[in-house]
Formats: sequence, C-alpha cells, structure tokens
Amino acid sequence: MIDKQLLSLPGIKKILGILTGLAFVQGLAIVGQAYFLAKTIVGLWNGGKLGTQTGWIILFLLCFGLRHFMVYGRDKLLDAFAAKQAAWLRKRLLGKIFRVGPQIVQTNGTGNVTTMALEGMDQVENYFHLILAKVIGLMVVPWLILLAVWYFDWKSGAFLLAIFPLIIVFMVVLGYAAQAKADRQYKTYQMLANHFVDSLRGIDTLKFFGLSKRYARSIFKTSERFRKATINTLKIAILSTFALDFFTTLSIAVVAVLLGLRLLNGQISLFPALTVLILSPEYFLPIRDFSGDYHATLDGKNALSALQKILTITEPQIKQISIEQWQPTSRLELKEANFAYEKGQPALAAISLDTVGYQKVGIIGLSGSGKSTLINVLSGFLQPQKGQVSFGGHQTNSFAQREWQKQLLYLPQNPYIFKATLRENIAFYNPEATPTQIGQALKVVGLSQLVAQLPEGLETVIGEGARELSGGQSQRIALARIFLDQTRKVLLFDEPTAHLDIETEIELKERMLPLMEDHLVFFATHRLHWMQQMDQIIVMEDGKVAEMGTLADLQRKNGAFVRLSRSLRRI
Amino acid sequence: MKIFKLFKEDTWVRPFLGKYRKSLVLALVLGFFTFFCGGALMFNSGYLISRSASHPENILLVYVPIVLTRAFGIGRPVFRYLERLTSHNWVLKLTSELRLKLYQVIEKDAVFFKSKYQTGDILGLLSEDIAHLQNLYLQTVFPTVIAWSLYFFIILGLGYFSVWFALVMLLLLGILVFVFPLTAVVANGARQERQKFLRNKLYAELTDNVLGVSDWIFSQRGSAYNQLHAPAQNELQQVKQAIRNNDHKRDFLVQLLFGVLTVVLVCWTSAAFPGNHGGAANWIAAFVLSVFPLIDAFAPLGAAAQETNVYQDSLVRLNSLPTEKLVEKPAVPALSAPFQLKISHVAFHYEDSQNLVLNELDLTIQNGEHIAILGRSGSGKSTLARLLRGDLRPTNGRVTLNGVATADFGDKICRYVGVLHQAPYLFNTTISNNLRMGDEDATEAEMWTVLERVGLKKLVAQLPQGLETIVDEAGLRFSGGERHRLALARILLQDVPLIILDEPTVSLDPVTEQGLIETFMKQLKGKTIIWITHHLQGLSLMDKVVFIEDGCLEMSGTPQELARTNQHYQKLLAVDHGVLH
Repeated sequence: MIDKQLLSLPGIKKILGILTGLAFVQGLAIVGQAYFLAKTIVGLWNGGKLGTQTGWIILFLLCFGLRHFMVYGRDKLLDAFAAKQAAWLRKRLLGKIFRVGPQIVQTNGTGNVTTMALEGMDQVENYFHLILAKVIGLMVVPWLILLAVWYFDWKSGAFLLAIFPLIIVFMVVLGYAAQAKADRQYKTYQMLANHFVDSLRGIDTLKFFGLSKRYARSIFKTSERFRKATINTLKIAILSTFALDFFTTLSIAVVAVLLGLRLLNGQISLFPALTVLILSPEYFLPIRDFSGDYHATLDGKNALSALQKILTITEPQIKQISIEQWQPTSRLELKEANFAYEKGQPALAAISLDTVGYQKVGIIGLSGSGKSTLINVLSGFLQPQKGQVSFGGHQTNSFAQREWQKQLLYLPQNPYIFKATLRENIAFYNPEATPTQIGQALKVVGLSQLVAQLPEGLETVIGEGARELSGGQSQRIALARIFLDQTRKVLLFDEPTAHLDIETEIELKERMLPLMEDHLVFFATHRLHWMQQMDQIIVMEDGKVAEMGTLADLQRKNGAFVRLSRSLRRI
Repeated sequence: MKIFKLFKEDTWVRPFLGKYRKSLVLALVLGFFTFFCGGALMFNSGYLISRSASHPENILLVYVPIVLTRAFGIGRPVFRYLERLTSHNWVLKLTSELRLKLYQVIEKDAVFFKSKYQTGDILGLLSEDIAHLQNLYLQTVFPTVIAWSLYFFIILGLGYFSVWFALVMLLLLGILVFVFPLTAVVANGARQERQKFLRNKLYAELTDNVLGVSDWIFSQRGSAYNQLHAPAQNELQQVKQAIRNNDHKRDFLVQLLFGVLTVVLVCWTSAAFPGNHGGAANWIAAFVLSVFPLIDAFAPLGAAAQETNVYQDSLVRLNSLPTEKLVEKPAVPALSAPFQLKISHVAFHYEDSQNLVLNELDLTIQNGEHIAILGRSGSGKSTLARLLRGDLRPTNGRVTLNGVATADFGDKICRYVGVLHQAPYLFNTTISNNLRMGDEDATEAEMWTVLERVGLKKLVAQLPQGLETIVDEAGLRFSGGERHRLALARILLQDVPLIILDEPTVSLDPVTEQGLIETFMKQLKGKTIIWITHHLQGLSLMDKVVFIEDGCLEMSGTPQELARTNQHYQKLLAVDHGVLH
C-alpha cells in the first residue's frame, strides 16, 4: 500500500510514528465526539432539560475540536516534512544536471528536465503529503471506530467489518475495467485531445491552402467527438467512485434500518444505537479520503519515479590525471576510440588522432558522418566506449577531465545566449573581466557598433524573451568569450557557420581567424573554404576517418576529400 | 475584486452560458440533490431510530422512514454519478464552443500570429487556458452555486419552523458561504500572485540555464548556479508555506464552526421539540445528525474561491485577444494565364516601427520565370514574400497579380500562389489527409503520382498502413528532407501557377539540400518560382538572381551574367566553392 520509494526517505520512520500517534488520538476523539453527542441527544430525548446536558455538550465540543486539531497538526507536520524532502531531492537533481550535464538534458529534453525540477517537485511534495496522511489514516482510524461500534453493538460492527472488503473488491474490479477501457481508447483519445493544438500550430499552413475558414467546422466537430469519447470513458471511469459511494451510503442506511428494527423489538436501547449511527459514516471516511485525489497521487508517484530514474544514473568513473596548460609542445593522442549511442550502431569507429601544439585541425564530412560526435568526445561530454586518451604520455580513458575542460572553449552551431545582460554573456567564462578588456573584445569581434546602438549599451538584457540576437551576433558573442579568456587555449567548433548567410559567414571568418592563432583548434564543418586555413584535415565518413592529411596532400591523393568536395558542389 | 471585474467585462465565457442552459441547470439540480440526499439520509436515520426507540404500537408508523432511508441511501450516489456526467458533458460542450471561437479569432490573423507573440508557445498556452476554464467551472463555479442553493433551501426550510432561528442560521452559514471564501481570496490573492511570479521566474531561469548547461560545465561554475537558484526557490517555498498555513487554519476554523453549528442546533431543537421518550423529541436527532453530511458541501468553498486567483491569467489572456472584425474584401475577377507579378515602387514598414523594411522596390516577375531573391537575414526577404502573397499590404506602391493588388484576393490568393516554408507543418493525421490539403478531391492514384514525383513513393509504400499512416506529431516521424518532400507533394496537388519557396532548405545538410533543390526545379517546371534564399547552392539553375540589401534592390541579372561581371557575386561564389581565403 505504501510506495517502496517512500520508505527509503530519510526520517520516514520517525514521521510515520508521529503520524500514527496523531491518528490514534484523532480516532479516540471521533469516538468521544459521537459518544458525547449521543449522550446529549438521548438525554434530551428522555425529557432532560438543556441545562442538564451542558457537561456532555462541552465534552462533545472538546472532542470535536481535538479531532480537527489533530488534522491541523498532521498537516503542518507533513508540510514541513514534504518540503524538506522535496528540497533535498531538488538539490540532488540540480547537482546532477549541472555535473553530468548535456546527456541528461539531451535524453530527457530541456522542457522535461525543467518541468521535473519545478512542477514535478511540487507534485512529489504534494504526493508525500497526501499519501502519508491517507495511508496512516486508513490504517488506524477505521479500526478504532470499529472497536467502539463493536463494543456498543457487535452486530452492526460485524456488518461494517464484512462490507469493508466488499467495497475494496468492487473498487478494484471497476477500477481495472475503467483502466482497460481507457487504455483501449488511449490512442484515439490522445489524437482527439491534441487535435486542437495541432490545428492552431498549423494554422498558417491551412491559410496557405485557403482551408482555414472551412476548417473551423472540423475543429468543432472533432471537439464534439472528443466530448462524446470522454463522456463514454468517464461513464466507466467514475463507476469505481460510484461503487464506493453507493456501498458506503447504503451501508449507513442499512445500519440505520437494522438498528430501527431492533429498537422496535427492544433488543437495543437508543443510546448505543445512536452512537453507532453517528460513528458509521466516520468509519467509511478514511477509505473515501484514500480514493480521493486520485490524479494528484498518481502524478506525484510518476514524477517521483521519473526523478529517481535520473538520480540513479551512474556517473562514469573517470581517472582524473593532471594535464598541463596547453602550449606549443603539448601533445594529445586518441587511439582507436569507439562510440555508439545505441548498441550495434557505432557512431565512431576506431578513431585515432595525434596533435601537437597550436594546430588547426579541420574535421569535414556530411551530416551523420560523426563530426559532432567526435567533437563531443573531445569535449568530454561523451565517453568513448573503447580506446585510449593520452595527454603528454599520461593515459586515461576519457576527455572528461577537469583540467582539460578548464582549457576548452566550445562554439556550437547556435552558441547559447543566456537571458542576461550583454556584459554578463560576454564575460560568462571570465566574470572578472575589466571594462577595457570587454571593450576590446567587442571591437575584435565587431560588436562595438551594435552596442553603441543599444539604448542601455552593455547592460541591455539579451536572450530568449528579451532582445533577441541574430545567428551572426550570437556567434560574435561566443567569439568575444574566446577573446576574453586567453588562458583557454583549446577551441572546439561544431559547424559554427552552417546556418548563416554567406555574407555574414565571410565577415565572421575574418574575425575568427586571428582568434584561432596560438590555439589548438578542432573545427568541424561541411563548408569547404575553411579547409584552406587548417593545418590538418580529417575527412569523416560513416563514423570512420576516411582520410587525414594537409589540404595539399588530400588534393593530390584524389580520394575521399576530393570525392566529398565534388558532392558538395554539384549544382 | 479583480475576478469580478474580469467577469463583468468577459466576452469569452458569459456569452456561452445561455447556450446550453438546460444541461447547466440539470447539472446544478443534480448537484443539489446529491447533498440533499446526504443530509436527508442522516435526518431520516436519526428520526427513524428515535421513533423506533419510543416503541410505536404499530410498525407501519416507521415504515415510511425505513423506505425513505433506503431511498436516500441509494439516491445520493446515483445523483452524484449523474451530476458528474452532466457537468462534465456541459463543460466539454462549452469547450467545443470556446475552441471554435479561439480558432476563429486566431484564423483572422493566422500568418502573423506566431511572429507577433514571440515569447514561448503562445498557441499551446491559449489552448491550455481553455482547459483552465473547464476547471474553473468544475472546481469553483459548480460547487459554489450548489452550496448557495443548499444555503437558500436550508434557511427557507428552517424559516418554516422558526423565523428567528432561520435568521441565526442565515448568519452562521453565511460565514461559511461568504466570509470564508472572500477572506480566502483576499488573504491569499497577493501570495498567489507572488507565487506565480516566482514560479515563472524560476522556470525561465532554469530553462535558460539548462539550455546553456555545457557553458556552465566548461566554465566549471556549476555550483555557482545552485547558489543563484536557491534564494528564489527558498522564497517560493516560504510563500507556498504561507498559503498552506492559511488553508490549514481556515479548514480548522470551518470545522470548529460546524461544531458550534451542531451545538446551536441541539439548543434550538431542545427548545422547539420538547418531549419525553419520543414524541416531538424524535426530531432532535434528525436535525442534529443532518449537519455532518453538509460539511462536504460547505467546507471546500474557501479553497474553491481561492482557485479563481489561479485562473485570472487565462481569462485576461483570452479576453485581450484582438476581436476586430475584418472588412470584407471586394470580389476579385478570376484570372487566367499568363500570370505576371508586378512590384512597383513598393515601400513597407511594420505598424510598430518607422524603419522601412523595404524601400522603392521595383520588380516584374514574368509567367514561368524562375527567380531567386538573395540577401542576408533581416534584409527584408521574408517581408517581400508576404507582400507577394498579399498577406501584407505595402505602405507605398503596389504589388499586383495581372493588375489586381494581391492583398485584395483574401483567401482566394491560394488559387494562384503556393508557399513552401523553412519548417513545413505536417498535421498529426494520416499522410493522405495531409496531402489532400492541396486538393480535397485528390484520388489515391493522384496521391501516389505526386509521391512518386517527389521521390517518396517507395518510402510510403513500405509503411504498413501506406497512405493511411499517421504522421507523428509535428511530422517527427519523417526526416527534415522527407518533410519538405511531403510538403512539396501537397503543393503539387494544389496545382497553382506561382510558387514561393521561403528558404525551404535552410536547415538541411548540403547533400540533402541539393537533392531537394533538383526535385523542386524539375517538378515545378513551367510554374513561376520565387525562391528566397541566403546562400548560393543551386542558384545556377535559376533564370534570374536578385540581391536585396537593407530593403533595396542591390543587383540583379542571370546567374551567368553576375558570375562574369559582378565582383561581389564572384567573391561569394568563390567562398561557396571553397576556393578563396
């Protein structure tokens, strides 16, 4: 009944203990409340004056208050507990994301990761609260009440005890039936549900075909179909709530009628009968609570499972070695490296590299040839599954080395621009940069003019949802980061100009080339003209190195490189 | 209060309330009877056992309460079941209407809607807003109205026995029905506002930084982010806790009030129904016991009222959508070939800025001409495309198709002009449905023919369900190149004389791009092609190349001429071929 994942939470035993204690007091108070109310009513029924019942009334109020005070205390306690657990889990999740990084984000999607850290955590927090309250309530309260009922009238007690499993069986059976029906309809259901958003997103396409006005009818029709399907599913889905409702209210009615009949025969007197009648709805209350908040509980449970899945991702064990600051004599070797995203489909096969000093290495190939994968291996985001990495003779198995990543700067196709000021973005790697240095960087990458035009200059907020930059401007900011951090001597470029228009590309190239001097550069691209400036060219084909050498070598060889150049400029 | 003002000015929900009045009233009545039966069950049971305890001479005297007890016992779950179905049904009917309305509002401005609202997924958001309105009804409006009607009924019923006591209850229950919900809205309103603000802030911040996670790792400042995140997170936690504390306190007070209500009833009934071993005193248990089932009806009102704070944004967003009616376009004569597109002295600026995107543009595109419009991003190419299709009207000058301004055609322009985009949208339905958008009467044979022409016949034939295969959401089942080919097939079925290609290959790799361009040119032969692009791949296949720079025509000519005579073009060509620098 209680989720295994919950039992592994720190401090769970203590909280379960306290909750049980609170529930116990609550149960006693419920019995007391019924007892004293029945006493009052029976007293009045017997012709007693109101004044003589004051004691019972006060006791009733006290029990009533105590009962709800226990609920209040329980909720406060659970709030604190759930919040503490959620904070702890959130911290671990964020730590994991910002340590392990892109793989988690890539496999789960950015949206999912952020939703998990915020909304998902709220759901988990809510889940802790709900489930603990519900489970403990169900385990303690009904049984105390049953004992009391049994004491006053064992026949009613026996009836209530017998009906309990029946309710559970019906709920489970109907619950499964509803689930089965929902599962059968799931696909159509999903499609109908998404139809509206799908139509909204494609509305310009509809317009281009002149269909948009007429399509409104289809929107309404589909929505109506969705309504009918939903109601059909709902008819079954709420049957299990109906069964619970039906059996509990009918049981109360049956208890009342049976008590009435026995009262007529004088087999029982009014006081125990009334107490039992007041207690019987209370007996069913916890199970009704338990089946309530079904969706919130389910969402929370699923969110917790998804979270655990990320938290339990094993972080690769990588031997950290000491790596010197890259200089003209430094040497980097990669031997026979293999990498596959999925088993049996190698993205990189037996890649070997050997570079010394400030070289510019061009990596050229078509999409899917493994250029980006190689760059990701070099950056340490992907761990080669086989192969050797060595820095100046020190061997290890991966580029995920703190001292290596400290020297890297990475320029992807779309460098990420944080929603922050232009200054913060430029100085991201070097937050202590002086205004003079930043001004110089702007000049070098050709952003001075843009900054001069901005109303708030360097303090203008840029990025998603603020002032958006063009692709070329984003690249310039990334270049400025390179210029500002001269201690990082290794540059990784992954198709930095593939999506830019040709004139912007030419302008950027003029800015980029000087920045590449005195650096070790890996430059992945399918644009041929960059190869003129490379000291070494690696031609990639299907995850393998098809050819390697200087531009002149490759042109002379008339092999893979020449073939590639031809296919790139057929028309 | 803000929510009342919103409701008053609302044009989204109120107009539909009258439309399905019957089922709305039915849902409310069923809801009323659900609680009525709950209370009546305990009322009856209390009376039944009290009456039985006084040992009536004739068993038939308790026969009626016995039958009623069973009836109420069955009635409550049945009414509840029916109430849930009816209310959901009503809400979903309302949803259909709201969706239609939202669609129609957006349709008026379809081509620009997305670019107008740049931040985030506004369309997804709007469609969620409608879902929020559903919840507003199910979780706030219905329970509240039902509780009010119960309140009314109880006071009226008690008034029958004693006007004075009815007034007392009017006050006491009034606290539950009005005071608690109002204070909940007021007390937590500001906190909920703050909570929303913090949540959105955290969401934006976290998304931003998760997207930039590789920079955090390289800069080795990952732990710095955790510190950045913490203060807002802690504040959010505090606000949330404050809201919850308020909720718990309110729940506790509501319950205490019910305790007091019980005692008040005991006092009143003891005076109103005096008796000894039965008689009128049989009613005491009946009245007192019926209080407890009513807790379910009145206790959730505070939380329900407070929820309205959450839905405010949805109401605001929907109500602030433009509602202006479009002017009917004058009828345009049917045109016939040859088609000539003429751009004369066109200048254009968007409403919200004075910067001319295009300036003094003159260009004539002849029937069957293949023309490439080249320029860097932001040079006004895409605006030109929109002017050509008539989605925009030039600020100055004219864009005409055979003498008729393109902006006058309205939806009829799609008989003459087809558009292929950078990211063609495929609907999440079958391939055949997607294709039929081009021509609703297309036969299966025709569809296979166009699929063959765009080179997808083999692929589609291999799919187990062929043409009836569902294109996964947003067309993700197909690769970029394949999606463009499907979109082209759609355009081929549409069979229009002019095609605008708006950077259709920009996100593709060069080899796929080449294949696609060759298919375009081969299959669209004989039609006028206006191809907007920012690089040189495939330009040699065009009749004419036009350069736009800063909204002006910079140079034009056949690609061969330009390659021979124009220095700038030569330089670009050299870079593109990888020779220079």
